[in-house]
Amino acid sequence: MNFKLRTLTLCAALLATGLAAGQTPPPAQTPPPATDAAPQPADAQATPPAPAPDAPPPELKTLDQEVQGLKKDVVDLNKDLFVLQEELLFPANTQVALYISMDVGTFFALDSVTVKIDNKEVKNYLYTAREADALLKGGVQQIYLGNLKVGKHELVAFFTGKGPVERDYKRGATINFDKGVGAKYLELKITDRVPKHQPEFMIKDWE
Amino acid sequence: MAAASIAAAPSTVGKPAPDFVLRGLDGRNLRLSEFRGQVVLVNFWSRSDGDSRQQMPALDRINITYQRAGLVVLGVSVDEDLRRSKEFATAMGVSYPILFDTGTEIGQDYFIQKMPMTILVDRSGVVRYSAVGFRRGDERVYLDHIRELLRE
Repeated sequence: MNFKLRTLTLCAALLATGLAAGQTPPPAQTPPPATDAAPQPADAQATPPAPAPDAPPPELKTLDQEVQGLKKDVVDLNKDLFVLQEELLFPANTQVALYISMDVGTFFALDSVTVKIDNKEVKNYLYTAREADALLKGGVQQIYLGNLKVGKHELVAFFTGKGPVERDYKRGATINFDKGVGAKYLELKITDRVPKHQPEFMIKDWE
Repeated sequence: MAAASIAAAPSTVGKPAPDFVLRGLDGRNLRLSEFRGQVVLVNFWSRSDGDSRQQMPALDRINITYQRAGLVVLGVSVDEDLRRSKEFATAMGVSYPILFDTGTEIGQDYFIQKMPMTILVDRSGVVRYSAVGFRRGDERVYLDHIRELLRE
């Protein structure tokens, strides 16, 4: 099923690329051939109205609109396939999504996050300055999306970076959670504990 | 026969450059895709490889000359011994960022079989050139490609 989806996505992408590259339009859109094969009269000088030099012929304009419509369809199809793929790969009854957010960040400069679920490392993410900055500006990143069976699980996250006064800093946070039949959403939160001048790391379970 | 086998070797040329994020010698993490819009030369090297040692000063000259024109040079060490690799990189004193790959995924993504390996990524993130090994004079070939990509 996954292969089928990937194939469909690939086809859609290829179609989009082809259209973007200005490939030959479908035959139905080509200008109709001259039906009347009769020779032109000799005094044709007076008949042809001169077309405006800059205006595209109407059939080309229609064709362009149809190409734009097709491109939009391909984008929509791609989006639907992506959603379908996510639903198939990570069905709601086993889905676990982990997000990370950062509030203020005066006492901590994030460098990396390692996530373990049931003592198995599932994610190790290195942050560039730009990504850490995006989190500081209020961005929320989906750091992990996976599947877990129903039941009790343990998630441990390790945060490394620079703490107060530029010291190397490594802290962990743990959460024990119950995975029910619905999707599970967890959030790693990095906040400042102003009274102690220290960062704080929490894991929030979004019920 | 050798040429035929090289030609048949899998390559990333013409495909989007597989993204990676690695820690640099200065402690910063760099992600390849964040250089979209610039021409990127990625050089995979190994401390134990003689060609890599010879190539790095040539790449340094290219970096110094063309960085203001929009070229980014990234050196990626694939040595397993991180400490010695860092010592070597520090001793070489090149002007471009040196990153350290201690895993195997990037090597697989880029089909690295021999050191050094040099690839050029265009402004849209597509691999446009790939070369394995280094001989004196190869930098002129790199420059031809770099100038072409910078003009695009």
